[in-house]
Order: sequence, then C-alpha cells, then structure tokens
Amino acid sequence: MRPIGFSTGALARGDFRRALRLLQNHHVHTVELSALRMDELEPLVTSLPDLDLQNFTFTSIHAPSRFDLQAESGVIQILSSPQAADYPIVVHPDVIFTPALWRRFGGRLLIENMDKRKSVGRTVAELQTVFDLLPDAKFCFDIGHARQVDPTMTEAAFLLRAFGERLAEVHISEVNTASRHDPISLNATSAFQRVAKWIPQDIPVILEPLIDKGQSDLDTEIRRARQALQFERPAAA
Amino acid sequence: MREGQSSIERLESRLGADWAAIRKAREDTTSRRQDLDHLFRDRNSPDTSVVVFGSVARQEVTSSSDLDWILLVDGSAVPEHKKQEREIERALAAGKYIEPGRSGVFGKMVGSHGLVHNIGGEDDLNSNTTRRVLLLLESLPVSNREAYDRVRRQIIRRYIEDDRGLLYASGAVRVPRFFLNDLTRYWRTVTVDFVYKQRADDDHKWALRNAKLRMSRKLVFAAGLLHCFFCHLDEEASAARAGLRELDLNPLTAYLEDQLSKPPLEIIAEACLNLQISDVTSRNLFNSYDRFLGILDDKGKRAELAGAHTHEELRNSKAWDEVREVSRPFHESLISLFLREDENLKNLTLEYGVF
Repeated sequence: MRPIGFSTGALARGDFRRALRLLQNHHVHTVELSALRMDELEPLVTSLPDLDLQNFTFTSIHAPSRFDLQAESGVIQILSSPQAADYPIVVHPDVIFTPALWRRFGGRLLIENMDKRKSVGRTVAELQTVFDLLPDAKFCFDIGHARQVDPTMTEAAFLLRAFGERLAEVHISEVNTASRHDPISLNATSAFQRVAKWIPQDIPVILEPLIDKGQSDLDTEIRRARQALQFERPAAA
Repeated sequence: MREGQSSIERLESRLGADWAAIRKAREDTTSRRQDLDHLFRDRNSPDTSVVVFGSVARQEVTSSSDLDWILLVDGSAVPEHKKQEREIERALAAGKYIEPGRSGVFGKMVGSHGLVHNIGGEDDLNSNTTRRVLLLLESLPVSNREAYDRVRRQIIRRYIEDDRGLLYASGAVRVPRFFLNDLTRYWRTVTVDFVYKQRADDDHKWALRNAKLRMSRKLVFAAGLLHCFFCHLDEEASAARAGLRELDLNPLTAYLEDQLSKPPLEIIAEACLNLQISDVTSRNLFNSYDRFLGILDDKGKRAELAGAHTHEELRNSKAWDEVREVSRPFHESLISLFLREDENLKNLTLEYGVF
C-alpha cells in the first residue's frame, strides 16, 4: 500500500503542531513539514527536536517557496542546522539562485517540478538544467503541477521517464487555473491514473490540497489519492 | 538531419538548385518573427498566447503578407482578456501589420474549449475547424507559448485517443485516420468555400485567392497528409509506434507535436529526401513553389492578382499566366509524390486518402 500523508501547511496553515496532531489521530505515517513562507522556517527547524515524529516513517521539510538572492544563504544556513540534518528538503527550482550552495544537501535535496506560472522547472528540458547543476539531487514529482502544465499528462509521463530514478517524493492535489491547490477532482483522478504505473509503490505521497477551512477532509483526500494512483499493471517508464 | 541545415537546404544542395525566393521568404520570416517577439516581449500570461498563422508560421513571408492572429485563451474567463485582445490589435496596427481578412476567423480572442472538444458535430463550425487545423498545421506562438503548447497537445491527444483503429487495430499499419480525415475535410471545405466566397464577395481578390488555393493551401494539406503517413513510415516514429502497441500514447503525441512544429515545405523536403522520390519530382515541386513565392513577393504582380477577377482581366494578366504556369507542375509533382514513385506512400495514399 502506498505511504500517503499530508503537508502540514494544507491541514493547518502556519501551525505545524496542530497539523501533526490531526495526522496522528488519523494514523497517517507520512508527512511533509511545510515552511512555505519565510517566517515559518526558523520556528519549524528550531522545534524539530521537540516534535513527536516517531510515528512517522517518512518526514520531509518543504523549504520556503519565495525569497530572493539576498535571503538564499540565510535559508540554507537554517536548513543546514543539525536539527534538520536527517530530513529530505523539498525546494522549488526558481529559488535556487546559487546551486553551489545547495550541493551540500546532496541526495537530501528534492527538486520539485513547477506550475505554469513559473518560467523554470516545468518540463523535462527545464528541470534537466537544474539537475545538471545539482547532480545528486532527487526529484519531488508534483503531479498536480504537471497536469496543470500539460493536461494530457504527456509531460508528466516524460518527467517520470527522465527522472524516475531520482524520484523520492510525490505531491498530489488538484491545481486549479489560479494555481491554488484544491481537493482532488474526478477529472484529476482520471488524469493521474494515466501515469500512476510509473510511480513505484514505496514512494511517499504527500497530499497538498488546502482543507484547513473544511473544503474536504483528511480521510476523503487520502482515499482519493489512493484511487488516483491506482493502476492495473506495472510498466517500465 | 545534418547539424544546422534544414531539409530544404539539403535538398537544394543535392539537386544543385537555387531557390532564392524560398530563401528570401525564410529570411524575411526570421525578421518578421523577431519584430513580433519584440512587440509582445513584455506579455506574461500563462493562460493566454498570441498565436499567428499563415505565411509567418509557414516561413513564407513576402512583401505584402497580412497577419492572421488570435489571442488563445486556456484558463478561467476574465474580463481582462478583452483588454488583451484590444492591446494586440493596437500593437499590430502601430507596427503597420496588415490586418487579417474579413472572415472573422482571426483577429480575436478564442477559447480553448471548442478547439479541443468540438472535433466534428454541429458545433464544429467552419471557423472552429479552421482554427483547430491551422493551429496544428501552420501556427506560431509569439512571446509566451504555454497556453499554445497546452492546447495543441490536447488537440493532438484527442486525435490519437479517440482513434480506436489506431490504438487497437490488429494490422501493422499505424496511420492516425481520425486526424487524417479531419485534415481532408478541412482541405475540401477550403476548396468549397473558395467557390462560396466567389459569390459572396463578388469575386473580390479571386485570382490571388485562387493562386493561394492552388499553391500554399494545397501545400499545407499535402504536408498534413505526410504528417499522418510519417507516423507509419518515419524511422524516427518507431518509438511512437512501439508505444502504441503498449497503449502508451505519449511518444506519438510528442512525435506529432515535434513534426507539426516544422513548416510545411520542410515536411515536403523531408519526404523528398527520405522516400523514393525522383529528383525530377523534387525539383519540379520546389522550383514551382519558389517561383510562386517570387510572384507573391513582387508587389506589382501581387496587386495585379488582387485586382483581376473578370475573365477579361484574367486573360490579360501576365501574373495570372505565371500562376497557372507554376501551379500545374506543382500539382503534377504532388501527384507523383503521393501516387507514383514511393511504393509505401502510394499504398498508404490509396488506402487512406481516397475512401
């Protein structure tokens, strides 16, 4: 059975402790600690030793998604602290200004493919240039972003084919035309199933739909994600 | 393909030919494209693309080429799209671009929904078919291309996904018949509409329109047919064919997307180079098209064609005589290409192109 969990930011924006409590109540063992906003990063990393994460078999940290070149070294410094040393770090390619600084994370660094608003990291060609600069980095496949960029899922298939060996985490949600992460729709489910066979069963899957205001609920989204990543027979990418 | 050399250049060199008008049209196209990119360089809208059609997309710009365009919208409908449409109109008018024709097919915003969903059926109006087919066969995004790429790929995907024969047939031949039939339907519609416009427009620009029908419109259709047949014949499509056997449609989608991004003349040159096509046929095809582009690039001849519509005017028009001189060998060479020389292409044309 696929390990499916949640991003803390999707469950309780800016309140990872509350999100973790919610997950524990639902016996979820996969989690991504979200620090999408800059002001969330330092409190999160500082708190890591005190958080009860023992029930989670997979835990990653999502680095801030928006900062400039001046802030880059500060972000890296916080992520390099000993408290964060055991965790994979998901980062968006458009905030990697100085690749040499990010190389220190080696295979712990997970590069995520981007949505249509971004001018980098959306396609195989665009992501390849990032991996060329960070050859040890792994791949975080955001299936919702890939569908938004190409609803036929052709590019998604090519992303999995090109970077399948680097695949370390999957993000799943419906990404709407305004690039907001919504609960998974039937159309998205059908699209995601087209490439599910190229996602190995043991890869951690992180749900990102915002459900902090009752848009859906945790169990429903896990069920939908499981359905969306079902496939009939395995195939080589 | 040799590094840096187009198939047209390779063919030209092989035949020892000199296609100056084709070369000039390609150079003028490069310059026109740079101007357009500059004009729209500040556009940044992932939901919309400015798409141009016709000679700019075919790499056949001549001195009086007009500019057919649409604002392609693929996303939520917002009132600002109308503003974008007006800004494009203004920018092109300021750049002294010749406006699109009066058909109403171009020069406006167009949503993606109809293009992707209405393939066939009563909602597939002439304008929708025209935009859809030309979006595949002769279009070019200016500035940001995200919406353009998304929509084109979805249309291609529909032609593949809905073609049960292509996906499930037991035979070895893999030709996208649904796509081919739509291209054929479009071409026949263009020819019928030519006669309709002859009545509706009181023969306005009859000779110029007829010249384009005999040459550039026919070229686009011929290239479209080759796109379909190359799916079966082209060595580079072997992975796509193998993918189909596994019901993996992605390689064929990518192959067609790549092929369709090439100008029609380039596709014809690929056929001349890679299939069993005689030098005589290749030379006649390209010599006549080269002469045709030369006629269109000559402002005097073009004006003469645009003004000639009565029998008397046509009889006295040297430009019209020239068009007839080049269009006949062009037509004959296309027949040789498809039906006389390469056995495989001939068999596919007979099997798929007639009934």
